[in-house]
Amino acid sequence: MTSTTATEARYAPSDFAPPSALAQPQRMAAIVGAVAALACAVGAVLDPAQFFRSYLVGYLYILGFPMGCLALAMLHHVTKGAWGVVIRRILEAATRTLPFMVILFIPVIVGMKELFVWTDPEVLAHDDLIAGKTPYLNVTFFLIRAVIIFGVWGILAFFLNRWSLQQDETGDNRLSLRMQGLSGAGIGLYVLTASFASFDWLMSLDPHWFSSIYGVYFVGGQALTAMAFVIPVALFLSRQAPMDKVFRPSHFQDYGKLMLAFTMLWAYFSLSQFLIIWSGNLPEDVSWYMTRTAGKWLIVAQAIMFLHFGLPFLLLLNTDIKRSARRLSIVAGLILVMRWVDLYWQAAPAMKVAGLHWMDVVMPLALGGLWLWVFFWQLARRPLLPVHEPFLKEALHHE
Amino acid sequence: MAKKRTEPDRPIQMRHPIIAEGHTPATVTDQISAVVLTKTPRWWYVGFAVAFSLVMVLFMALAQLFVKGVGIWGLNNPVNWGFAIINFVWWIGIGHAGTLISAILLLLRQNWRNSINRFAEAMTLFAVACAGLFPLIHMGRPWRFYYMLPIPNTFDLWPQFRSPLIWDVFAVTTYALVSALFWYVGLIPDLATLRDRAKNKFAQHAYGILAAGWRGSSRHWHNYEVASMLLAGLATPLVVSVHTVVSFDFAASQLPGWHATIFPPYFVAGAVFAGFAMVITLAVPLRALFGLNDFITLRHLQNMAKVMLATGMVVSYGYAIEIFMAWYSGNGFEQFMITNRIGGPYKYAWFALILCNVLSIQLLWFKRVRKSVPMLFVVAMFVNVGMWLERFVIIVTSLHRDFLPSSWDMYSGTRWDWATYVGTIGLFLALMFLFIRFLPMISIFEMRMILPEADEVKEGKK
Repeated sequence: MTSTTATEARYAPSDFAPPSALAQPQRMAAIVGAVAALACAVGAVLDPAQFFRSYLVGYLYILGFPMGCLALAMLHHVTKGAWGVVIRRILEAATRTLPFMVILFIPVIVGMKELFVWTDPEVLAHDDLIAGKTPYLNVTFFLIRAVIIFGVWGILAFFLNRWSLQQDETGDNRLSLRMQGLSGAGIGLYVLTASFASFDWLMSLDPHWFSSIYGVYFVGGQALTAMAFVIPVALFLSRQAPMDKVFRPSHFQDYGKLMLAFTMLWAYFSLSQFLIIWSGNLPEDVSWYMTRTAGKWLIVAQAIMFLHFGLPFLLLLNTDIKRSARRLSIVAGLILVMRWVDLYWQAAPAMKVAGLHWMDVVMPLALGGLWLWVFFWQLARRPLLPVHEPFLKEALHHE
Repeated sequence: MAKKRTEPDRPIQMRHPIIAEGHTPATVTDQISAVVLTKTPRWWYVGFAVAFSLVMVLFMALAQLFVKGVGIWGLNNPVNWGFAIINFVWWIGIGHAGTLISAILLLLRQNWRNSINRFAEAMTLFAVACAGLFPLIHMGRPWRFYYMLPIPNTFDLWPQFRSPLIWDVFAVTTYALVSALFWYVGLIPDLATLRDRAKNKFAQHAYGILAAGWRGSSRHWHNYEVASMLLAGLATPLVVSVHTVVSFDFAASQLPGWHATIFPPYFVAGAVFAGFAMVITLAVPLRALFGLNDFITLRHLQNMAKVMLATGMVVSYGYAIEIFMAWYSGNGFEQFMITNRIGGPYKYAWFALILCNVLSIQLLWFKRVRKSVPMLFVVAMFVNVGMWLERFVIIVTSLHRDFLPSSWDMYSGTRWDWATYVGTIGLFLALMFLFIRFLPMISIFEMRMILPEADEVKEGKK
């Protein structure tokens, strides 16, 4: 803008103290989450098997929020893109919910016997193919892997948050380099661990089936979920002090572009998997798509095609939509809904569900509400802008 | 270093400059155009002679091929795709870095690309030319190449539109066309500079015709900006689509070792990986020979090293997941394929591939290596070899022991296979030599745009 570096006003972290208005969405989230969770608790008593099925889909959906945010935070540290500076604290707050996600994983462990057929000795006795996978698919190793997966994510989230806070206090640029270094390795570790998370928690629901792109397909979905989540939060923050003077339409344009890029990336993985399996037409592969395009599932599959990719893609090409935080948030909302539909479409047919159960819909509200409650609590704990970020000026004067 | 750390808020210390200090628009123009307009250095003649004699080797191999047929190659019953497809994929992969640098980095406003985009694009063009040769000469009857195109004909013969090989025809021709257009459009302002600076009549006329009447008016510049952004938009999907289609050539089949859903992203990453290795391979000698260290700085080399590391890690991920999934599939043929690949008769190729593509790049995690030009060059050479080996391993080890043990066979290239391959390297180098002699290998006007002065002009306007 007008000023030069010498006369640039230096900001203090306290200039960006979180507004008290954050308490409002937090309370809302808590109420929705508590009511929905209560309903699901009743459901768990009435129909435990269905509870666990709904729970797994809901859990994997909500897991995309903090983990996708971790991935975006690391992507920002590595590339030093101006887009990331002003949303860094949102991303970091989301990653600090990880302990909460670990607690929420407990019901998945409790419901393992209901969810994963490979835990059933009866199935193993009759199915040689699944029995051949027991060195990998067994309860002990499954739990060990879960510990490793959460451990790696926890370490990454812990240090990125810690160094970021330290930088607020000391203004030391070396911390930026350190975060960049950790993120470089961290992205690799994240993709690898998240891949195995997807193999374990999603792909192994149908232990006959396998697809080597599945890991990155899952990762792409998480990154898209996080991007679509950050936009409405940024919209909310941009409407009051102190962040109202920070966010510009150009920032939202960048988030729109990134959301478009992740939408396309997700679609690319999705189409690649489909095209290769369709073309090969081998019974072991194609059965996955046969069940997911049979009967009513075909409608869901088509909805995913048009509403998870087609419509958002077309809308996000438009510059005016991208520059308007409000309209961009509507597109983000559509994507967030479709992210759940996509996971449901992948998981539910493998679990041999009869149809959509009320708990399927209430569960994401329960987990999402509770998660948002934790998220807003964390968001309100730190200044909303990392004022000692070396590229802050670039990020604020972003065009 | 210690002094810099005490003053926060200054981005400069976080990033090395992309152009050395002390340059003005005039010095930039002088130094880059001088490479073309001064007397040809003696080493150029030597280098070009070597490259050109390799082109002669290519012509000899092709003549032999057209007279005798593809029987002169090492193809046999199970391995009916050999060097031709390996080289095709290798060359086309190399091209991808040029498109990524010129299109995606332009859209992402990464202005460090300005000094490397021109020769990276030239590299793309020449690599695609070498790549396009292989499917044509593999056809047996290359003069019937037009059968691949959907031309209405009296026999009602159409290509199989469901075959990725036909998608390849469209993908590669589009790629060649868009790359050539992009490259030429980007050259126009610089061609005009050369026209105005050339001393001899012939050069003035030649550059003048190529410059298409460029006078540098603001209307010209406006049209130029629009055109280059549009072309960048068009070229961006090509970075992904071309190698995706190439990966479908394999993945859409039912062959264990080829039929893997990870192939598209892993091939695209491999292509960019190979391409950046080749850009480094070319940039290191070029900046030394022409004294262009001020323009192709350590920052460029470091950034390219980082891209190489990132894409190399994606490729490594692909290898790991392939092995895991082959086991996890529980499919005996998949499992046999992977054990045969790692422990079978071609195990040395596999180990060499891991050494080149997975282990060697781990050095790039260290800043010291990324800052050392000779080390970078060595790693890039490893990757050049590794990416060729990767295609060799994927193609040959998947084919040579197929479902029917009675037809198992070993495959190796004959001297004609090697002559063709080495010949295309000669062709590539010869074209590169001509390019650096007759056209500005660094974009003059884009370099002027990243001078500190350009920023002052921009800010002054506000």
